[in-house]
Amino acid sequence: MTNSPETLTTSEGRTGSRRRFRVEIGSQQINIIGLVVGIVVLFVVLSILAPNFGTPRNIFSILQSAANIGIIAWAATLVIVAGEIDISVGPAVAFWSVMLAEMAGPWGFGLPLAIVLTLVGGIGIGAFAGWLRARFGVPSFVVTLGLWLALRGQAQFITNALPVPIDESPFMDFLGGTLPGGIPVNVVLMFVLFFIYVFIARRTGFGRSVYAVGGNAKAAVLSGIKVARVRVLVFVGTGLLAAVVGIVTAARLSSGNAAAATGLEFDVIAAIVVGGTSLSGGRGSMLGTLLGVIFIAVIGNGLILLGVNPFFQNVVSGVIIVGAVLVNLALARRGSAEAV
Amino acid sequence: MTDSLPHTTADLVVDVRDVSKQYPNVKALTRVDFTVSPGEVRALLGKNGAGKSTMIRLLSGAETPDSGQVFVGGHLLGTGGIDGARALGVRTVYQELSLIQSMTIAENMFMGHWLRNRTGIDYRAMAAATDLALKRLALDFRPNQLVSELGIADQQMVEIARALMDDLKLLILDEPTSSLSAGEVTRVLDVVAQLSSEGVAVIYVSHRLSEIRRVASSASVMRDGRLIDTRAIGELTTREVVQMMLGEAASEMEPIESAPDGAGEILISVRGLTLEPKLRNVDLDLRAGEVIGIAGILGSGRTELLQSIAGIVAPDSGSITMAGRELAGRGNARALRSGIGMTPENRKEDGIFPLLGIDENIVVSDWRRVSSGGVLRPRRVAAAAQTIVDQMSIKTSSTRAELNTLSGGNQQKAVIGRWLHADSTVLLLDEPTRGVDIEAKAQIYALIRNLAASGRVVVFVSSEVEELPAVCDRVFVLRGGELVDEFVAPNISTDTLLATAMAEH
Repeated sequence: MTNSPETLTTSEGRTGSRRRFRVEIGSQQINIIGLVVGIVVLFVVLSILAPNFGTPRNIFSILQSAANIGIIAWAATLVIVAGEIDISVGPAVAFWSVMLAEMAGPWGFGLPLAIVLTLVGGIGIGAFAGWLRARFGVPSFVVTLGLWLALRGQAQFITNALPVPIDESPFMDFLGGTLPGGIPVNVVLMFVLFFIYVFIARRTGFGRSVYAVGGNAKAAVLSGIKVARVRVLVFVGTGLLAAVVGIVTAARLSSGNAAAATGLEFDVIAAIVVGGTSLSGGRGSMLGTLLGVIFIAVIGNGLILLGVNPFFQNVVSGVIIVGAVLVNLALARRGSAEAV
Repeated sequence: MTDSLPHTTADLVVDVRDVSKQYPNVKALTRVDFTVSPGEVRALLGKNGAGKSTMIRLLSGAETPDSGQVFVGGHLLGTGGIDGARALGVRTVYQELSLIQSMTIAENMFMGHWLRNRTGIDYRAMAAATDLALKRLALDFRPNQLVSELGIADQQMVEIARALMDDLKLLILDEPTSSLSAGEVTRVLDVVAQLSSEGVAVIYVSHRLSEIRRVASSASVMRDGRLIDTRAIGELTTREVVQMMLGEAASEMEPIESAPDGAGEILISVRGLTLEPKLRNVDLDLRAGEVIGIAGILGSGRTELLQSIAGIVAPDSGSITMAGRELAGRGNARALRSGIGMTPENRKEDGIFPLLGIDENIVVSDWRRVSSGGVLRPRRVAAAAQTIVDQMSIKTSSTRAELNTLSGGNQQKAVIGRWLHADSTVLLLDEPTRGVDIEAKAQIYALIRNLAASGRVVVFVSSEVEELPAVCDRVFVLRGGELVDEFVAPNISTDTLLATAMAEH
């Protein structure tokens, strides 16, 4: 980083080459490299300290705990890039796991219809949240804070805070189980959705409009981007994927549970900001979020394997997350200061 | 160069002696001498970049001179900064008001120095003091009213009242009336006259000669960092002011030679457009193949005219038709679909996506042209961007570079290019050369001519009047929200434009 700009300048002799350099290794790339290094270091250290860490079984276990965070984090990355926030995803997961169990069992809709209604419902709640934001300008933090309270409350109200069992079915067994070779199905789902979201973010007009709206909403309006539609759609994304995770959670627990996914929203936001996405919008990448999700999952797993007191684990996680973002910012600032 | 009014140093409010100021690439002030007496209202005029702002910043303590000295009330203004100048009785009211909208008038009056009693902030005492200050200017606001409830003129009054709470010796007003209606202007001028009669010196930065004649006793004209002259207002004609402002530069740029035949197809027809208090009864035809200039001083309604045509603001009355379809008040999206593209005045705030690539900043105006089946095709994005980059001669090594790696001029070209990508036939360019270096300016002029030659109509708004004859086929002059005159090439001259724009109502 320190001497390369000079080398380039002499080879091309203009300031333009410095500019190009900045594009090639911008702060985002520095962030990605930093995260990869961080994850590798964690892997090496934990492999030495905890003999069980490197086993395939444990790796799958890490990925499995990453899956719930990751699936939602893909959609939530676009929400945050658009300059918004969605803190309602944990309660939404619990709510939809309960709704699925109730609809499939006690209410007698049957599993297939229950799944469809759950997905449609997820879209509906997301669209509603986005509409409140886009149409009336209610800050998305407030809208989703309301949902955060209401969805968990409604789930507990319906179930009296007791798990609602789901009858065995091949589909739910599959969803909650593993593929031959021991790969959990929800991990596969996470990666499939990851590639879909990379595609949406990079290769669709909607995806690029999300970056434009988050980067400069006024300019987006003046450029003819339908800003309200973009804002509604990003929340449709988190709403839908929260319902998906709700279904997966119900499948894994064989029940709908109002207490499921507690604190998931904060793991999601932590993974996204560790991944280098700016909370003020306009900047962020799916790859960064993927690495952030893995980073968070590895730390969580490592602390358990090392036998750290469960209460103290949260303290360590909190310190590491803030520290990681701090390092990110410092690297980004140094990078841009040198390249400009 | 020298001040023509008689004086002795002791009783001057402002005494600027032989001051020079150099910025990294610009000589902002060159050996300026400038004095103002108590109770004097001094108009300060000059084009953009003439040195007015630097002068204001020196007097208000925001800058220190490289050489020479600034005295306020006989005291040397050293390195005390804004607080130092304030202690000597200098207050500046900028065009962008500095009041906190969500707080009360009283809280704003004491901003940062709120009165306290034993139980914390003393709202009663602040309200009482505020009431006195407001009464002094015959303002009947309640001290506990929120600033956001006040109109812009009233907010300006509050700022002036706030300035009066100190021992005010010099009040600097920077374009105070540019966003006000006629009635509001009168109130500001009355307050200025009152301050003057109380012995406060006022520096009044404005180009509205009618107002200047009503309120100022003398006028100083700056150009290229020098004080050209200071004259009593009674003996100064508009023509002379314009000549002093423009100097020899007036005839430097080659005007467009051939007059347009006026036979181009009318793309947009504006009739009776009214947007109180900014525009009144504007009639305008935009013909294909022409570059139309809009001349007018700050606050004359230039931006509002473009915004009305682009559907960003809805006019109170009047029609804007394009191909027989009414556009007035039908919104920005409709205007964009009809082929109207506008580049906003504040490129940074409203125009660019700094973190996105040059390519995306261009194709953002229409993703569909570079997609198929709803999916962006990178090759088509790259090709479309490259076309615009070539056409607009944007200097970059890669179309994928972040936009904020470009210079201001190249950013501007990308923003204009956005509308070429969308195939707009009407281009509304609000100050496209602001903050752009000379080379890029020349390129933008040439681009504008090319765009018109390709059958589009370009509306070019610039506060640098001397640009207009060099670029425009036809120039309309806006004054106080009305189109007051029209000039057709080759009979467009900078000094006539400026004189018309500044002339008394």
